[in-house]
Amino acid sequence: MQPTEKTVAGPAGSSLPSSRKRWDTTDLSLVAVFAALIAALAIVPGIPVGPLGVPITLQTLGVMLAGVVLGPARGTAAVLLYLVAGLIGLPVFSGFSGGFGVLAGPSAGYLVAFPLAALVAGLIAVVIIRRATRFRASLLFLACLAASLLTIHPLGVAGLMVNAGLPLRDAILIDAAYLPGDVLKNILAALLAVSVHRAFPRLLSRRA
Amino acid sequence: MRGYGSTLGLYQHGQGFLYRTPLSLKAVASLACAVAVVTWRSPSTTAITLTVTLCALLIGAHLSPLRILRMLAPAAPMLAILALYQGLAQGWLRAFTVVGGITACLLAARAVTLTTPMQSLLDGVVRLVRPFRVVGADPERFALALSIMLRSIPYLAGLFMDVREAARARGLERNARVAVTPLVIGAVAYAHRTGEALAARGLGEHDGDRDRGMDPHDPGA
Repeated sequence: MQPTEKTVAGPAGSSLPSSRKRWDTTDLSLVAVFAALIAALAIVPGIPVGPLGVPITLQTLGVMLAGVVLGPARGTAAVLLYLVAGLIGLPVFSGFSGGFGVLAGPSAGYLVAFPLAALVAGLIAVVIIRRATRFRASLLFLACLAASLLTIHPLGVAGLMVNAGLPLRDAILIDAAYLPGDVLKNILAALLAVSVHRAFPRLLSRRA
Repeated sequence: MRGYGSTLGLYQHGQGFLYRTPLSLKAVASLACAVAVVTWRSPSTTAITLTVTLCALLIGAHLSPLRILRMLAPAAPMLAILALYQGLAQGWLRAFTVVGGITACLLAARAVTLTTPMQSLLDGVVRLVRPFRVVGADPERFALALSIMLRSIPYLAGLFMDVREAARARGLERNARVAVTPLVIGAVAYAHRTGEALAARGLGEHDGDRDRGMDPHDPGA
C-alpha cells in the first residue's frame, strides 16, 4: 500500500480551483463504514432502557468514535450520513424505526446534536493526536466529555422541552439520568480511539 | 457473519392509493406532519394529524387497525410513560396533545417506508442532493457512500455479535473494552479494504464528466 501523503502534501492542489481537499476512496469508505458502525451499535440490543424511553445504547459511543477516530470533517460526514439514512426511514435509530417521525419524538434533540458532537470531539482530537505523546487516553476522554457537555446534553434538554412538553427542571433531571452512562461511554471511546490510532497511525496524522 | 439484513426491509407489498402516490408527495406530507405537530401544539392539531394519518393508512394502504397497533409496538413503552407523566403532571388533554402528536408523526413516517420500496427511497434522497451540485456536492459519490453504508451494517452487526460471544466465552462480557475494540479495529480495516477495492475498480474517483448523458431521469428523453 503506497502512502498517499506525497501526492496530497505536494503543491498538487493547483489542478483544482476549489480549496476543499478531495477525499479519496478510502476516506469515502471510512465515512460510510463509520455511519454503518453507529447504526450497528444503535440497533444491536445494548443496555436496558432508561426513564422516558430515550434508550441508553451504544449509539453515542459510535458518534464520539467517529469524531475522535476520523477527525472533524470525516467524522461529521459519517454522523450526517447516518442521520440521513435514519431520516429517510431506514430503521437505524435506537428504539424506534426511523423516518421523519423521530423529529417529533422526545429524543430529537439528541439526534440533532450528534453531528455537532462529532465535530467538537474531532477538532480537539486532531490536536491531541498530533501534539500529545503522553496521557492521550485521558486527554481524548476530556475531548469527548467536552463535546457531550457542550452539544448533546444542552440540545437533548431542549428537545425534551419542545417535543415532550417538559418544563426545564424536569427535562434536566431526565437528562441527568444519562450522564453516568455517558461518562462511561466517553471513557470507552477514548480507550478505543487510542487502540485504533495505534493500529492505524495514519488515520489522523497524515494531513499534518 | 450473521443475517441482520432482514432488519432493514421495511417495504411490504400491498394495495391502495398510498402505493401509487409519488414518493416526493408522501415525503413532504410526512415532514409536514412533524412540522405541524411541533409548531402548533394544540389538541386540534393533534386530532387532525392523527385522523389524517390513520385514514391514510386504513384506506390508502388497506391496513387493518390491528396491524397499525403492531407498528407502534416498538415505541409503545416510550409513549405510555410519556402519556402517564403528562397526564398526571399537566392534565390528560395535554397528554393527548403531546403523545397523540408523536404517534401521528411516527405513523406518517412509517406509512412512507411501508409503501415505498427501499431502492426508490435511496434514489429519492440522491435526487434530493442533485441541486446541491452547485456548492460542490457530488450525488454519485453520496449514493456510493450510502450503498457502502447499507451493505456494511449487516457485516458490522454480525461482527459485533461474534466479538461479544468471544468475550463471553472468555468470561469477559462485562469488560466493554474487550468486547468492542475488535469491532472498531475490524471496522477501520474493513473500510480500508473497501476503499482499496473501490480505487482498484475506478469507482468513487472524481471525474466530473462521467455522469454526463448517463442520467436516466433526463427530462429531455
